[in-house]
Amino acid sequence: MLEISEWFRVLAETSGINLTIVYDAYDRERMVRGFFNTILLSGICLVLSIVIGVVGAWLQGSSLKWTRRIVSGYIQLFRNTPPLVQMYFFFFALGALMPRMQNEWGIMEPILSNWHWAIISLSFFAGAFNVEIFRSGIEAVPKATVEAAKSLGYTRLQAYRHVVLPLALRVCLPALNNNLVNLVKTTTLAYAIAVPEMLYVANQIWSDSLNVPEMMTFLLFAYVGLLALLVWVMNRWERSLRLPGFGS
Amino acid sequence: MSRTRLEGTTDLPVLMPAADRLAARAQAERHLGGPALRLSLLHGCALALLIAVWAGAVWAQDTVAGEVRPGVFAALWQWLPVLLGGFVFNVGISIMAMGIGTVTGTALGILQVSKIRPLRSSSWLVTQFFRNAPWLVLLFYCMFLMPFEFTVLGVTIPFPDWVKAVIGLALPVMANVSEIVRGAIQSIPSGQWEAARSLAFSRRQILFEIILPQCVKRMLPPWMNLYAILTMATVLASVVGVSEVMTLTQRALAAESRTDLLVPFYGFVMLLFFVYCYPIARYTQKLELRYAVK
Amino acid sequence: MKSRTYIGVGLIGLGLAATAPARADTLRDVIESGTLTVGVKADYRPYGYLDTDGNVVGIEPDLAQDAADVLGVDLELIEVVASNRMQFLEQGRIDVMIATMTDTMERRGVVEILNPDYYSSGTNILARKSSEFSDWSDLDGAPVCGVQGAFYNRKTEEEFGADIVGFTGTSEALNALQQGRCAAFVYDDSFLNSRLQEDGWADYEMPLETIDDAPWGMAVKTGEDAMAAFMSGMIVHWHTTGRIVELEEEYGIQPVPFTRRMHERYRGYIPDSGS
Repeated sequence: MLEISEWFRVLAETSGINLTIVYDAYDRERMVRGFFNTILLSGICLVLSIVIGVVGAWLQGSSLKWTRRIVSGYIQLFRNTPPLVQMYFFFFALGALMPRMQNEWGIMEPILSNWHWAIISLSFFAGAFNVEIFRSGIEAVPKATVEAAKSLGYTRLQAYRHVVLPLALRVCLPALNNNLVNLVKTTTLAYAIAVPEMLYVANQIWSDSLNVPEMMTFLLFAYVGLLALLVWVMNRWERSLRLPGFGS
Repeated sequence: MSRTRLEGTTDLPVLMPAADRLAARAQAERHLGGPALRLSLLHGCALALLIAVWAGAVWAQDTVAGEVRPGVFAALWQWLPVLLGGFVFNVGISIMAMGIGTVTGTALGILQVSKIRPLRSSSWLVTQFFRNAPWLVLLFYCMFLMPFEFTVLGVTIPFPDWVKAVIGLALPVMANVSEIVRGAIQSIPSGQWEAARSLAFSRRQILFEIILPQCVKRMLPPWMNLYAILTMATVLASVVGVSEVMTLTQRALAAESRTDLLVPFYGFVMLLFFVYCYPIARYTQKLELRYAVK
Repeated sequence: MKSRTYIGVGLIGLGLAATAPARADTLRDVIESGTLTVGVKADYRPYGYLDTDGNVVGIEPDLAQDAADVLGVDLELIEVVASNRMQFLEQGRIDVMIATMTDTMERRGVVEILNPDYYSSGTNILARKSSEFSDWSDLDGAPVCGVQGAFYNRKTEEEFGADIVGFTGTSEALNALQQGRCAAFVYDDSFLNSRLQEDGWADYEMPLETIDDAPWGMAVKTGEDAMAAFMSGMIVHWHTTGRIVELEEEYGIQPVPFTRRMHERYRGYIPDSGS
């Protein structure tokens, strides 16, 4: 392990390709933590955005006009504004309005930290897209199936949970896959509110070590690698859940 | 405009009252060649509500800070030309990136269904790579690797920052358009290909004269969706130093040196994007309904 | 006085230009093309910031204008940030860089930083009076706001054990400080001083002693000896006449000890007009 670090240090001195994240312990530690933070942030937002998507899709099918309108308004707002500005708005505007508690430094701090706001902002952003995806999935379930469930005595909620949702999930899995890939890429925006994910850490490192191209290349391969893994897992899952006769 | 007497209607009250209105609208749209955008009073109320919420957040933040500082809206008014200019710049970047990305993406998408295996696999690879790379990283690469001026045949052509940003954004657009085109081509029933072959069309003729014209309608909603995503992504250019609306907002905030302006200014930027993108989203929805392929 | 110094400065520059071997000569290009391109900051009040018309104004743009006036050419200002200012010089996109850059040995390996330095600032924190910090070691484990890319962030983390929360700009970091998300804000003491002179910061102070007082340098591309000589001459001229102190007062900040010291040292300095 030490030889690898040494080889990179020599590489930096001779050829100018400076990859401090390999040979410098401080930078290496930061980058590893950043990588895991990206995975953690993506994972939490993934789950939350799917929950928001499911709930939103159910609310959109409600018979109350105003429920439908509110959900529709939420979707339009989050789809038509830049996620970066959403993140700023959540953290600086809504964050300031939160009730404050005294932290260990004797300062009155708002209760939700920047991690929380990053998760909220990204989940709602991805959730807005998910609501539409789930909606189209639900609409692809034949009415006859839903009516059959109703005639068997399922309530609307039970039919949604046991009949409609599993079928809808299988139909909209490709689009969901796409959205999840976008979500992982969008987590880079959390750097703006100082969440220590990969881009934030890379920014710190290249400011100190003046090695922007090397860090950018590393980021490129790290994200492409991470996403390739995610896409592969999703493809396997898609194939195992494939409905016979649907799609090509 | 009086209710036009349409053919096939009757005086008998058998049709619902809305039928006349819808028939008239259908006729108008036939003239236009496509659905028209209709923004009603409800939209105006919704927009007013949004502005009220924004103004409320501004006021709430001011009060929370302990003191109501005067002139927040006055400060916004002063910086309005700069911010609007920046936003127009964003829109310009998005239109140019979309143009370049669409042209190259269509070519790439056609290559993806080519019969020649190396062409097919290499274009697939390029598409997958640019689809999976984060937009910010691609943008950074373009800013870095490209020189800031070209010397061709003794003439120096300047290569400003925003051109590099346009190219950097056009790359993921190209990959996504390529996927859209490929999906659309593959959704045309194979019977059409076979029928055309039996009529002695060459592959090139089939593609350009039969398949692609049908694809245009199918591609339109996802393409417009992509444009919305791209417009939102132009904000990333601020990270690489292009003077677009986010950069200018941050500079205006630094120049004013007042922390209570952060929320109003960013809220204003959000409003700008919403007012621009929402009509496009509505239009896309209409197109989707019209061109929905069962 | 003015014309004598200008002639002296000009002779230094042109003399070196005449003796330099035939290679890319930015000074000659600037005089021929009639435009001096200077990279400045646009988000650091009062050194370089935007006015409501969208123009870049401030202490550094004014210095750049002085240099352009001496050469008798037009001035073009290019907005730069910390991550691209040296790269722009290397590419040749800007001729001179006056962008609040701290003079470090590492950076001298990348671009040619001119002597003498023209400004200086140290690192300090802005904290609530109620926090009662008295020493840098008090920051151990505390969340400290900073601006992403500042070179003292790493030292504050490594040496003093602080937990740096880096934001994209000073407004965001100050806002976070006011919201209570961090115990302090670490930045240049000159910037923090200006903030303390404004309204709204009555509950805050700069409690620690300023450390790492490091001078700022202007820079040109490595190898541009003629341009380097000319700009060095301009800096000496500014220190001699106290121009930088004058600009600081004009933009409403307390002149830093460095500029006063340099003005004292160079007062009455007449360059050897050479033979």
